[in-house]
Amino acid sequence: MQRKGFGFYLRIYSKILAQDLKSKMSYRADFIISTIGMIFTNIAGFISFWILFRSFPSVGGWGYYEMLFLYGFSLVSLTPVQCLFDNNWSLRIHVYSGDFIKYCFRPINLFFYYQSEVFDIKGLGQFAFGIGTIAYSWSKLGLGFTPLMLLKLIVFLLTASLIMIALQNAAAATCFWIQNSFYLLDLVTRFKDYAKYPITIFSPVFRFIFTFVMPIAFIAYYPSIVILRPEEIPLLSWLSPLIGVLFFWLSYKFWMYGALKYSGTGS
Amino acid sequence: MKLKKYLTLTRAGIMESLQFRLGTLVIVAGNLLYLIVVYFLWKAIYASAGTDIVNGMTFSDTLIYLVLATALFNFMEMYLVWEIGRSIQSGKIALDLLKPMEYRKHLFWSCSGSFVTQFFFTFLPTFIVVAAVTHGAIHLGWNLLFFVVSVVMAVSINYSIDFLVGTICLYTESIWGINIMKQVIVMLLSGATIPIAFFPEPMKTIVYYLPFQSIYNAPLSILLDGNPQPQTLLTTLGIQLVWCVVMTVLSNLFWKVSLRQITVNGG
Repeated sequence: MQRKGFGFYLRIYSKILAQDLKSKMSYRADFIISTIGMIFTNIAGFISFWILFRSFPSVGGWGYYEMLFLYGFSLVSLTPVQCLFDNNWSLRIHVYSGDFIKYCFRPINLFFYYQSEVFDIKGLGQFAFGIGTIAYSWSKLGLGFTPLMLLKLIVFLLTASLIMIALQNAAAATCFWIQNSFYLLDLVTRFKDYAKYPITIFSPVFRFIFTFVMPIAFIAYYPSIVILRPEEIPLLSWLSPLIGVLFFWLSYKFWMYGALKYSGTGS
Repeated sequence: MKLKKYLTLTRAGIMESLQFRLGTLVIVAGNLLYLIVVYFLWKAIYASAGTDIVNGMTFSDTLIYLVLATALFNFMEMYLVWEIGRSIQSGKIALDLLKPMEYRKHLFWSCSGSFVTQFFFTFLPTFIVVAAVTHGAIHLGWNLLFFVVSVVMAVSINYSIDFLVGTICLYTESIWGINIMKQVIVMLLSGATIPIAFFPEPMKTIVYYLPFQSIYNAPLSILLDGNPQPQTLLTTLGIQLVWCVVMTVLSNLFWKVSLRQITVNGG
């Protein structure tokens, strides 16, 4: 089969996206309520920080605005997984019912086609809230602003997203072997709630675990410290773009390995 | 026998929940992860506070409170909004309404099986471990009895709130958004994520007037109060009882009114 170029996939994606948005818009009330729900969740996270810092000056040497920056960073870096890879949540249902076989017969990349089918718009509310939080804490911290910093921010936000996408892909793909991957997906999704805490509050053992075994720290801590505390950047921060790409590639291979050995349900 | 038909549902529920052993294992792992994060987070918080007691709570008080709140959450959360919402969307609700038992009761007793299993497999072990590890930070006496009474009322209030919110799905046909809003509000305002003692002043008073604190804060404060004044005890239980009645009546009324709204698409 001839390999299709990037432009080809971009064109296909915009077409599928348009269809998906049209069908979503026929449930307008659901869209509005979901967006409000999403913003609610983010505001609640914000309020929790606010309450905590009313009673305590700092958490393990991290001030209020620094924690907010981490929180905003984690929200933005989680947007791509929310918006673009939401179909992972339905994977186990498609696999179980046998519907998944239909994706195997398309002359385009299987992974691409499956993920492109759903675009979750409510993630955009989170994106806006996250950007707002970053901008607010950025100005309060007086970090200054240069184009280089903006470039760094974008690069490290992207790498952080790749880590979370990789984790979710891998968790979803387990449904090719075990029947119910919901619990694993749910577990991985809970990681993102812990991403907003600085890794330095943990003991060395758990610091190791949260860096190398369950890479929660790469979702916000290691990438954001490049902007936040430029004088004490650990080596792992500079490595995180590499690690992000590597993880994403591995999870893609794992997902495809499961998908290609899928043999349908016979119906 | 009237009770017998209900207990049959309980038994079916127990058997159903014992089917998913792998799921339970992953849930336990997820909770352990949460507890680890909570432990280190609050340890760091108290370390930077400089004093041992903040807002009348020591580090171990806060930790016990939060650990048991998680255990209570696992015991009480029945994902009822999802259950109701999904049967509205699929039309299964038409069959449930035809059953020779009130829908509200049928739903409650169907869930009661997992109350039983969750109690023995998550709440009780957690409670015993916490009581053993903290060496008497939990006072074992009459407060246990009041705690049980309080938990029973908390279950009822929680169920009514879920049922009320689930009924809203009849109008909106949006499950995710409604459910996430409910969850965020209940978790924050009930004191399940941050003990209410830490809330700043005007907010604290407002929260005490809302039904949510009766779900987690009331039973836990009864349990942790080693030497309760009869007056505080009565006030706490009294407020719970009032909310118990109010929420039951409200959710029942709302359900009866909304039932006329119902439309089921085909079969």
